[in-house]
Amino acid sequence: MWHARVFGGLAVLALGIVVIFFSRQLPYHSDYGPGPGFLPTWIGYVLVICAVVVTAQELRAANNKETFFQPRTRMAVKVLVIIVITFLLFPVLGFSVGFGLFICAAMRLMGGHRWVACSVAAIGTTVSIHFLFDHWLGIPLPKGLVGW
Amino acid sequence: MELFDNLYNGFAIALTFQNILYCGFGVFFGQIIGVLPGIGAPTAIALLLPLTFTINPTSAIIMFAGIYYGVAYGGTITSVLINVPGESSTVMTCLDGYQMALQGRAGAALSVAAIGSWIAGTGSIVLLMAFAPALAKFGLRFGPAEFFALTMMAFGLLTVFGGENPFKVMISTMFGLLLTTVGFDVVSGMPRFAFGVPQLLGGFDFIVLICGMFGVAEVFNSIEQSEDEGKAIKGKLRLRDMFLTWEDWVATRWAIVRGSIIGFLIGMIPAGGITTASFIAYLAEKRYARHPERFGRGAIEGVAAPESANNSASISGFAPLLALGIPGSATTAVMLAGFMMWGIRPGPLLFTQHANLVWGLIASMYVGNFLLLLMNIFLIPIFVAMLRIPYSIMMGLIVLFATVGAFSVNNSLFDVWMMLGFALLAYLMIKLKYPIVPLILALVLGKLSENSLRQALMISGGSPVIFVSRPISALFMGAALLAYLTPALRWFLKRWRAAGQEVTVGAVPS
Repeated sequence: MWHARVFGGLAVLALGIVVIFFSRQLPYHSDYGPGPGFLPTWIGYVLVICAVVVTAQELRAANNKETFFQPRTRMAVKVLVIIVITFLLFPVLGFSVGFGLFICAAMRLMGGHRWVACSVAAIGTTVSIHFLFDHWLGIPLPKGLVGW
Repeated sequence: MELFDNLYNGFAIALTFQNILYCGFGVFFGQIIGVLPGIGAPTAIALLLPLTFTINPTSAIIMFAGIYYGVAYGGTITSVLINVPGESSTVMTCLDGYQMALQGRAGAALSVAAIGSWIAGTGSIVLLMAFAPALAKFGLRFGPAEFFALTMMAFGLLTVFGGENPFKVMISTMFGLLLTTVGFDVVSGMPRFAFGVPQLLGGFDFIVLICGMFGVAEVFNSIEQSEDEGKAIKGKLRLRDMFLTWEDWVATRWAIVRGSIIGFLIGMIPAGGITTASFIAYLAEKRYARHPERFGRGAIEGVAAPESANNSASISGFAPLLALGIPGSATTAVMLAGFMMWGIRPGPLLFTQHANLVWGLIASMYVGNFLLLLMNIFLIPIFVAMLRIPYSIMMGLIVLFATVGAFSVNNSLFDVWMMLGFALLAYLMIKLKYPIVPLILALVLGKLSENSLRQALMISGGSPVIFVSRPISALFMGAALLAYLTPALRWFLKRWRAAGQEVTVGAVPS
């Protein structure tokens, strides 16, 4: 875990340096006071200082027994993959059908529900989204090839 | 008399059929959210926010307030029955509440929590009515220097209350501030950190961020930590078990009063929050108890004090939000975003420009607290049944609402991907122990902070003396400095005590 935490500290350090670099390309002063680069520059400095302290703290706490990958991290990653696939399919399947399939996959993967239950939930979700958001609330959700 | 006139007008608004319905829905939904571990008030409000574009703002804010204090009630149920806090604000309730359930007194624990919460909530509303308008009048004297100093104080207090490691709190706060600088600079009109991406020129939308950071990130987090699912419910729950005995009343009366006062005061502090309030109330109760050894073994005061405190704090948190436009917690920060979405800027002028909204909201709190009391005594079995909803379905619904919320802001799939990106960021931050709340508060206050800073420096011709030469600003700056120094002072104190102990141990002859 401490590797991950040290890496986190270093990532913040890198972010701070990048922020300072880009902030310096913005005017620090303007005619009437501080310019657009004023606050970001100081944010960058504070990030760098805090990142150095945090990284040092994490290095000192190297004997920490916690692990970054927990037994169910794999499941969280699987759900993330399903979400990404669903989002990628929005232009083709549309929002309602895409989310119907997402619910079906999530129920099957996480809950181990039977295919029948998953299919019924998928159809129910698709129809509910279509009527709730599209018809009732008037949110123009992306429609796929099916027209839903 | 003006106060009663205002309150009368407030009740005329809160008691319309439509607003009672919204208030009822809010507290009922809040109770459910409180019962369900892994989803909190900010998430619930963030997910519902985009759906309220077409609703009257007064009704919407009444509903959201109902969710907020409803959550504080609802989290108790799982804390008592299955030793799993539905909300972080009910963690302390687990200690004695669950022990009471194991002793067959779950009904009494839930009742004292409900009654204590109701008394504390109602008392807190009375104090809010008296205090918030006075605070707003005081706020009318604020200029840019005072507002900047106030935001500095809020950020400073975050380092005290916002998390275990003050440096990680600072990083989170700075990151939130950094996000507010993305897009066109309001003063110069110059784009900052947009890197040629047209969607970034307008900056990050708050709703997109909170849908990701509170909604979807919470899903990943809950999936990882879902070993507690399916815990057996301890204790029987019949209606007659819900009534308190005379001994219970005697034992808890002062705990409720103390919890209410502590909750009200902590809730008023920017970044204080309801979790800190319940924690401090519990510790205070234990410290002043005649038999502190009973705490943790089913002491009814150990349930009454934190429950009263968290409800009192959830109400008093509205004082800085409404009167100064400064949110004290993640939930009030999300509500502030809602106000802005409806074109209303909370602050000193809110009480005069939108008096109906403010007093309608305050009056609705009486209605909501009363509805919650009834629900908590008669409808507990329904809320317990909610725990049986499979997480795979609930998770799907959270992702669905978060996605719709992010999309509906600009009708853009870019925002949906952005929401997922922020969800991953928040998930990693939680894993690496960086708190999310400071980021959210900084995100909400960032623009106010930067604009006030620049306006103040324009007024003073670039001299920072303006922040210490004006009394109110100097007071806030002093408090901010003290808050920033508190972690260092704690560290020195700890080292000093440790050194003292070493000397004492060394002095003992072997």
